[in-house]
Amino acid sequence: MRQWTRIGQGALAATLALAGGGCIQVRAPEKPIEINLNVKIQQEVVVRLQKDAQDLINNNPELFPQ
Amino acid sequence: MTRIIRTFAPLAGLAMFAALGAAPAQAQDAVISAAKAAGQVGEQADGYLGIKGSVSAEVRQAVDALNIRRRAAYTDLAGRRNATVQDVAAVTGCQTLKSRVSQGQIYRIGNGDWQTKGAGPIALPDYCAAAGN
Repeated sequence: MRQWTRIGQGALAATLALAGGGCIQVRAPEKPIEINLNVKIQQEVVVRLQKDAQDLINNNPELFPQ
Repeated sequence: MTRIIRTFAPLAGLAMFAALGAAPAQAQDAVISAAKAAGQVGEQADGYLGIKGSVSAEVRQAVDALNIRRRAAYTDLAGRRNATVQDVAAVTGCQTLKSRVSQGQIYRIGNGDWQTKGAGPIALPDYCAAAGN
């Protein structure tokens, strides 16, 4: 009986090790996700500054000759 | 010290314009408008004017002077909105590309080639779309 428990523990450890290995493998696609996040931060800045930028152009037309 | 320079730089600029009078700035704008129409000068996505090819010293000076005035305005806004000058300039660049480039005028996005605006709207950088552009 104790023998079987040991085998169970071994199997559990192996499963955990595999799961751990799985985690490391999942890290690979993180890079593109990070890039997307960066773009999102940039987009939030765009949203925040949009009206100010529009006002800047409207209030200083001499800086934006056409 | 930087703070002092930031505070007084626009004043110094104003004093210079007052000394020169309004005419030179208007003359510069006329030079730039003519150069834009000639396809020598165009708006860039970074919020500044750029020069395509070689141009006269007069055009180059007018573009440099206007870009300095733009940077002063961007710096002022960035300070008030706790943003970087680069971000303010880029967001303004989205607006200028969208609404202040006429058909036939040139424009540039990033380090790409100069393009000529056709009948349709300019394909703006992705980040511009966040503002509903």
